[in-house]
Amino acid sequence: MLNTKKIRADFNILNGKNGPAPIYFDSACMSLKPNQVVEAMNEYYFNYPACALRSFHKLSNKATEKVKEARQIIAKFINANSDDEIIFTRNTTEGINLFANSIGLKKDDIVLISDKEHNSNLVPWLVLRDKIGIVVKIIPGNENGSFNLDNFSKIIAGAKIVSIVHTSNLDGVTNPIKEITEIAHKNNALVFVDAAQSIAHRKIDVQDLNVDFLAFSGHKMLGPTGTGVFYGKRELLEKLQPFMVGGDTVEFTTYDSYKMLPIPEKFEAGLQNYAGIIGLGRAVKYLSQFDFKDIAEHELRLNTYITEELKKIPQIKIIGPEDQKLKSGIVNFYIEGTDMHKIAIMLDEMANIAIRSGRHCVHSWFENKKIYNSARVSLYLYNTMEEAEIFIKNLNQIVKIL
Amino acid sequence: MPCLVALIVFGIMGIFSATQRALAKEAFGCVFRRITFRPCNTSFAEKVKGKLLAKVLKRSTFLAKVLNKYYEVFSWIFFILMVGSTIWVIRGGFNFYVYGSCNGLNQSGFCAFDPSGSNNKVTAVGDSTACGITPKTEATVTLKGVDLSGFPTENVTGKDKVVFIGCYACDYSRKAYPDILKLVKNKNATLTFAHYPAKGDTTFLGEAGYCVNKMYPDKYWDFNTYLFEADKNYILDKTNLDSILSSFNFDVKIVDECANSPETKNAFDNQVKELDKTGLYGTPTIFINGKAFVGPKPYRVYRSAINKYIFF
Repeated sequence: MLNTKKIRADFNILNGKNGPAPIYFDSACMSLKPNQVVEAMNEYYFNYPACALRSFHKLSNKATEKVKEARQIIAKFINANSDDEIIFTRNTTEGINLFANSIGLKKDDIVLISDKEHNSNLVPWLVLRDKIGIVVKIIPGNENGSFNLDNFSKIIAGAKIVSIVHTSNLDGVTNPIKEITEIAHKNNALVFVDAAQSIAHRKIDVQDLNVDFLAFSGHKMLGPTGTGVFYGKRELLEKLQPFMVGGDTVEFTTYDSYKMLPIPEKFEAGLQNYAGIIGLGRAVKYLSQFDFKDIAEHELRLNTYITEELKKIPQIKIIGPEDQKLKSGIVNFYIEGTDMHKIAIMLDEMANIAIRSGRHCVHSWFENKKIYNSARVSLYLYNTMEEAEIFIKNLNQIVKIL
Repeated sequence: MPCLVALIVFGIMGIFSATQRALAKEAFGCVFRRITFRPCNTSFAEKVKGKLLAKVLKRSTFLAKVLNKYYEVFSWIFFILMVGSTIWVIRGGFNFYVYGSCNGLNQSGFCAFDPSGSNNKVTAVGDSTACGITPKTEATVTLKGVDLSGFPTENVTGKDKVVFIGCYACDYSRKAYPDILKLVKNKNATLTFAHYPAKGDTTFLGEAGYCVNKMYPDKYWDFNTYLFEADKNYILDKTNLDSILSSFNFDVKIVDECANSPETKNAFDNQVKELDKTGLYGTPTIFINGKAFVGPKPYRVYRSAINKYIFF
């Protein structure tokens, strides 16, 4: 069981030393950062703010060593075969774009995506559809938001890529990636997984899931903003043609030729966010001290309470399956005829409760369901039952005046 | 409607604060979409509403409920109040520019007097209507039916006509006089001067001025200007009059005789009676092309009156 009191002490914003702590229920958008992460980044800036991988002085060597260490920590964290399979990006979106633009798709190649993808895993494919004529197909899900393997099996034939979200930021439902990968591979399709929401909440073993590519962001897993990881199986990464090249991606050049570096450098063009990478490594190290089962259990306990209380309010409709066990730490709800921005702002003003309102970058789903917007509570290891109770109390007060 | 209110409010606040400027921009986007018959897509109005409701809800659920239900109505009320107060502010700014007071004409100091003596009435307690005092405004002060032919006038051919009724002992008259001289000079206007003994005993100076104008018309305006510019206590001391007259090389004896003659006293009394016909209630009272200004105003006010910038 998680010791939230001890955990909260690691977060400056939550430990009460700097004024009243906010009730932060927006971790699906951005997690808070433990002091250890901030300190690791500060250490870089204070003590060895040099180029990694380029120069040979002591400061540079230290930076190189720390970046390498971060890569190793992350590789181990997702059980990658080697460090080289870890490519640093700015975020998941960049990882998806890197993949979509490097895989070498041609006209009429088929890409399958689910019906509730984040814009980051929708727009890059639609742009390629308009640019080179690929075919983007939507895998129809179940009514309750869960993944429909039958529907998937029916349309997989002929697909070249299956690009799918692991845990949805819309309703918290986690897709059965292992089964999806199995079916896809039987049909010679490659699988890319958007793990932005899942990486911080469940153990991801890329070898066990047998995914071909996977991307996630640092900022949702206690890490710094502007950091992310794109993972790929070594043999597949070597085949990809990087779409962003330049400094640090080549071994040497002449006026009319170049020789690319091996992976991962060939995908990491230009000077990297070293402080961010080091911070991300520290965040992963911090996260690794916990058992993901404990995190899931903690989130489920809070989610169960919130969901059950929301169900008592007749006006409220919950997005996704009724069973909170399927929804990770996310509860997304709306009130017919009410702009949920108003609710979110009222909670913030009344009790310093931070939740996300809007369409959560899944506009396509909202358009399809004719729902204007929703309010999303997303929980994490630092949230407490007291916070959940305050949230419910204030929400009940708000609903009374609507 | 809330967007429009927010646009105006945040627009004004945005002049001073970048944070408010962003809100003004969002409000503008919302208003622009509405006037182009598209729905507002930023939820701006709802965000503002949410902030307001939260503050009220913390105090009273009932009030928050009422506000939520009649939000649009309240928005309209505040919009109308805002438009009204904006007009009032603009009017105040205009008044300040042209009259020297945000409240309009007749709101600055002047030397009050009560020729009718009605202020001395005794009224019954609680009978506010029986006081007998009718508040006076500049609108009731007029030159109609007033014969100014006996008063000293310079530059009679001037296009614009300025009449200055002032008192040598009145600080407000003394303040306004140089501006009027400047105005007359700059605008090549006709100036008529009338001394009205509003404060203290200045009749003797008026009578002396009457005689100087009659006997030394070329030096009258220098003499008059001296009386407004010299030390007030000095000129109000009757024993200094002869010294003043002699400093202008007037024949003191003749001027004194003239000033003390029954004809002069009668003429001066008649002039004061003539001035009373204007309905004036304080000095200085200045007429610029017939429009009355009571009390000293900034120079720009007089200039605006000649330039006809005054609309109401």
